[in-house]
Amino acid sequence: MTGELSEAVTAAQAGDEDAFRFLYRSLQPGLLRYLTALVGADAEDVASETWLQISRDLPTFTGGEFRAWTVTIARNRAMDHLRRQRRRPALPVPVQALSELAGDADTAERAGETIGTESALALIASLPPREAEAVLLRAVIGLDAETAGRVLGRRAGAVRTAAHRGLRRLAALLERADAEQPADRAGGATPPRPRAQRGRQAPKAEPADG
Amino acid sequence: MSSRRSDGPADRAESERLLDAARAGSPPQAAADPLAHLLAAAAAPGTAAELVGEERALAAFRAARVDPAPAVAPRPRHRFRVGAVLAGVAAAATAGVAFAAVSLDPGPEPAPPPAPTAPGHGTGGPSTGAGDPGTSGVTPSGATPGGVPSTAPTPGASGGSGKPASAGKLAGQCGAYLAKSDAQRAKALESPGFADLVAAAGGPERVEGYCLALVPEKSPEPKSEPKPTSSPKPKSSPKAKSEPKATPSSAARKGTTAVPAGSPPRSAKPGAATGR
Repeated sequence: MTGELSEAVTAAQAGDEDAFRFLYRSLQPGLLRYLTALVGADAEDVASETWLQISRDLPTFTGGEFRAWTVTIARNRAMDHLRRQRRRPALPVPVQALSELAGDADTAERAGETIGTESALALIASLPPREAEAVLLRAVIGLDAETAGRVLGRRAGAVRTAAHRGLRRLAALLERADAEQPADRAGGATPPRPRAQRGRQAPKAEPADG
Repeated sequence: MSSRRSDGPADRAESERLLDAARAGSPPQAAADPLAHLLAAAAAPGTAAELVGEERALAAFRAARVDPAPAVAPRPRHRFRVGAVLAGVAAAATAGVAFAAVSLDPGPEPAPPPAPTAPGHGTGGPSTGAGDPGTSGVTPSGATPGGVPSTAPTPGASGGSGKPASAGKLAGQCGAYLAKSDAQRAKALESPGFADLVAAAGGPERVEGYCLALVPEKSPEPKSEPKPTSSPKPKSSPKAKSEPKATPSSAARKGTTAVPAGSPPRSAKPGAATGR
């Protein structure tokens, strides 16, 4: 873990409030984003629970990757939450946000060139749960594949595979959105063009409205 | 769907590189793959809106510092707490407020040592033993040599039926409690009318943090006021409000909001002030 973070953990364990504040500011955004993918609109509540437990259990943290420790707490709180809500009990990893957040084509379209954080997260949340979690733990929480695997109870290789699949799916979503945008000229009959080079460098694809 | 070769990472190694880049917080070049932009956006620095729970988290932190080891003091109303928590769980199906009741339960028989077992900087192997992450009970406190990892309360676990204190009632009591002055609070907690609340919070000294979590409107003044000590036994009374000691970066953290010295950790930079 980064030295700064581990220093803050030590200081917070000794009671330093500023250190705890630092931990919160460092970790909360990532946790909240991850939780949003897991429980949707209830993410704030679950994040709140998570920090209560972090506060309480901080003395028992004995080293290792603090990010992983906190994100595991967050994940457990999310699972409890979903269990309580009896939502999607059959899914191994319920990604509640799928339907709520993701109209994928829409989101990707809005994403455009400068994709915003929310759109990006909504797209990721639209992935199959395992893939979404792998991508989020790696890119957003910032774990390596081994640590993410420990959080998820899977092998590092499985995490890498899931993340890779997720990224390919995301790329396809982006591609599709990109291809659909100029397609309205032909009334939707245009087949998706497999473009070799993404980007806006193809003026011929522009709808010539005039 | 059909993932095109042109787009998207060709293999796992390339995916790993993309993910690591996002993780490191290095901004992608303008011409980079849109996927790199997407990942960078997902890992962008936190915004102020994402940090609204900060004071609540701090209140919980303070409450936990005041009473770090719940098991040390014998607690006669212990089983009521369990009951209240269970009631809270039951109510959670309908009332969202009950989450605090669940989360604050310090575990069935908590006996963690109050002294932090020095984590040290050397990562002695990331021991987040999420042995079975599917089951909620596991707190990932790795090795936990001395301390029983406080198991999270699973709904429906352990059927002790205590006094059914509904979440709504607890919230009401919290409101009443928070409205009181410090002197009144201490007294109030001894009255039977607040017994449920004390039980649900896990002890009189935890009531404040519990209530602040449950009733978020009233947020505490940030750290200037150490703690309205209604608590009978402030365990770590010095409680290091902010001793400018050891950590070199604590000075940076001290600055009211802002960016810590050095480059902040990647995924979530505490650049709340600048983040939006």
